[in-house]
Amino acid sequence: MAENLIRFKIFRYKPGTIDPPRYDIFELSVGPRTTVLDALDEIRVDQDRTLMFRHSCHHASCGTCGFKINGREGLGCVTNVLELGTEEVVVEPLDGLSRVVDLVVDMADFFRDYSPDWTYLQDSEWHPQAATPEGVDHYVRFESCIECGACVSACPVTAAGSFYVGPAVLAAINREIGKNDGRPGSLLDLAGSERGVWQCHSAFECSAVCPSDVDPAGHIMALRRQLIRQKVRSLFGMK
Amino acid sequence: MNEFHVIVIGGGGTGAAVIHDLTQRGLRATLLERGELTSGTTGRHHGLLHSGARYAVKDQESAVECIEENLILRKIAPEALELNEGLFVAITEEDEAYAEAFLAGCETCHIPTRVLTPKQALELEPNLNPNLRLAVQIPDGTIDAWRLPLHFFATAKHRGADIRPFNEVVGLLQEAGTVSGVRVLDHRTSKEYDLKGDLVVNATGAWAEKITAMARADVPIRPSPGVMVAVRGRFHNMVINRLHPSGDGDIIVPQRNLSVIGTTSWVVDDPDKLGLPEDHIQLMFKNGAEMVPSIRNAPFRAAWSAARPLIGSKGADEGRELSRTFKCFDHKERDNVEGLVTISGGKATTLRGMAETTVDVVCRKLGLDIPCRTKEEVLLPYRAYYD
Repeated sequence: MAENLIRFKIFRYKPGTIDPPRYDIFELSVGPRTTVLDALDEIRVDQDRTLMFRHSCHHASCGTCGFKINGREGLGCVTNVLELGTEEVVVEPLDGLSRVVDLVVDMADFFRDYSPDWTYLQDSEWHPQAATPEGVDHYVRFESCIECGACVSACPVTAAGSFYVGPAVLAAINREIGKNDGRPGSLLDLAGSERGVWQCHSAFECSAVCPSDVDPAGHIMALRRQLIRQKVRSLFGMK
Repeated sequence: MNEFHVIVIGGGGTGAAVIHDLTQRGLRATLLERGELTSGTTGRHHGLLHSGARYAVKDQESAVECIEENLILRKIAPEALELNEGLFVAITEEDEAYAEAFLAGCETCHIPTRVLTPKQALELEPNLNPNLRLAVQIPDGTIDAWRLPLHFFATAKHRGADIRPFNEVVGLLQEAGTVSGVRVLDHRTSKEYDLKGDLVVNATGAWAEKITAMARADVPIRPSPGVMVAVRGRFHNMVINRLHPSGDGDIIVPQRNLSVIGTTSWVVDDPDKLGLPEDHIQLMFKNGAEMVPSIRNAPFRAAWSAARPLIGSKGADEGRELSRTFKCFDHKERDNVEGLVTISGGKATTLRGMAETTVDVVCRKLGLDIPCRTKEEVLLPYRAYYD
């Protein structure tokens, strides 16, 4: 099959060594299946072993390979290079998270407002009518959110450096309320705080870039509705 | 806390479980990984929590390891697992004929089975091939390949383990035939440094030979890649296996909103250069659809290769004939090189057991008598790694 020579313009940063950051250019022949992550790995193996980036599962399940690709957030492992349609492909780290090295960001920033109590499992919505096998009460599955940071990077409010908790955490809160049969308990406290849903400008960038169809903006709107309902109830002395 | 410092090379599932076990037994430990954690083989596995049934006929040592560790992981890392059981489905007469040996093997290995009629199987999983002849339920599950190891890393880190991703071992320090530490390139700063240790554990899996070669030692590891394909959507909640001897494309593992079809098997020399044969990708769709017809037209999400670290000599050509069991090599006994042990082989499912075996060897070599307790302790949630 036809091979195509693509220029990769990659953000480089090594604290104290490549500092301030710069862009390096690498050329690589890519095939019809080559993803941006495959390309980065080939460049690391054959051209520059010091190129650092996060990756693990290679199929959009772990969420480690979130990058800005030609200026847009996405997962390297499911972004086909030739389908981008550009002769030059620019790869940069996500915004809104501290930079560690090259394309690597610090995910401690991402998880700062997550509670250890929030589970990562949900009921499986596939084939709800099916019987369950012996030993299984109900089918479960992992959350769709793979915690890649794309939504945080794309959010214009987080980018402006505000103290906003961001779309990923708010989406997690609303999912957690769902698992709790819709009873919010104290889960709405952070969502309704000055760091919460009212910071959102409704740009919907988070949902546009989410590689896993989580729709964080939809969750934020749902939280707003619950907060308004709670406010109205408290005004009328109801619980 | 004793005085000893153990260096672990390799931040995959094995390294994760090893550094957890080391720190739980009170040793000081540092882990070095050339890239992000689990960026080698671990993250790329198909995500099967093995019941062991796949190996119950021809590789019973692995089968027993799998079922034992399967039951332990359910207790210590429940949030990293989708516990929906699994089925082996017979589609052809030949498959059906294999059932007898399969059920006998499972019984020998203490893997619980439940034989289902086609009607019973279709009630559980309506998207199965309606022409199936028989199904056997076994306790398979799905692993989050990134988050399971992270549970181990999180727990180790909270006990004081020093975990250093983006730090590549570029040499072994040696004094009079004894490995006394490692030379490390810190990719975050481009600077090299030496790190001294009382013992070095090589947990680099398919890359093991690259480390042992630095000490002129040898290890019989064959990097054996397999191709996997992920499609969007879940067509079933249980893991679906083909009831036949191990072959290509005979398993579909549902995980979150995806289904992963695996796999193939061949042997390479360089685990950094696997390739991704197009015919293997097509084979996953074809063979997967024989068990679950909807797979044929399911929307493509990703295709990739991962290198298994199988134990075997250079003669192996396909990888299927090699056992999935694991082994810890003491290079003092093997190559007269003191201070270096290699753990390799094994499965993601058996990571804890691999660590127990390895740290038993480490303790024996350091003259320590500390029992392993990793079977009992529930691990910290993976997000605690980022605390």
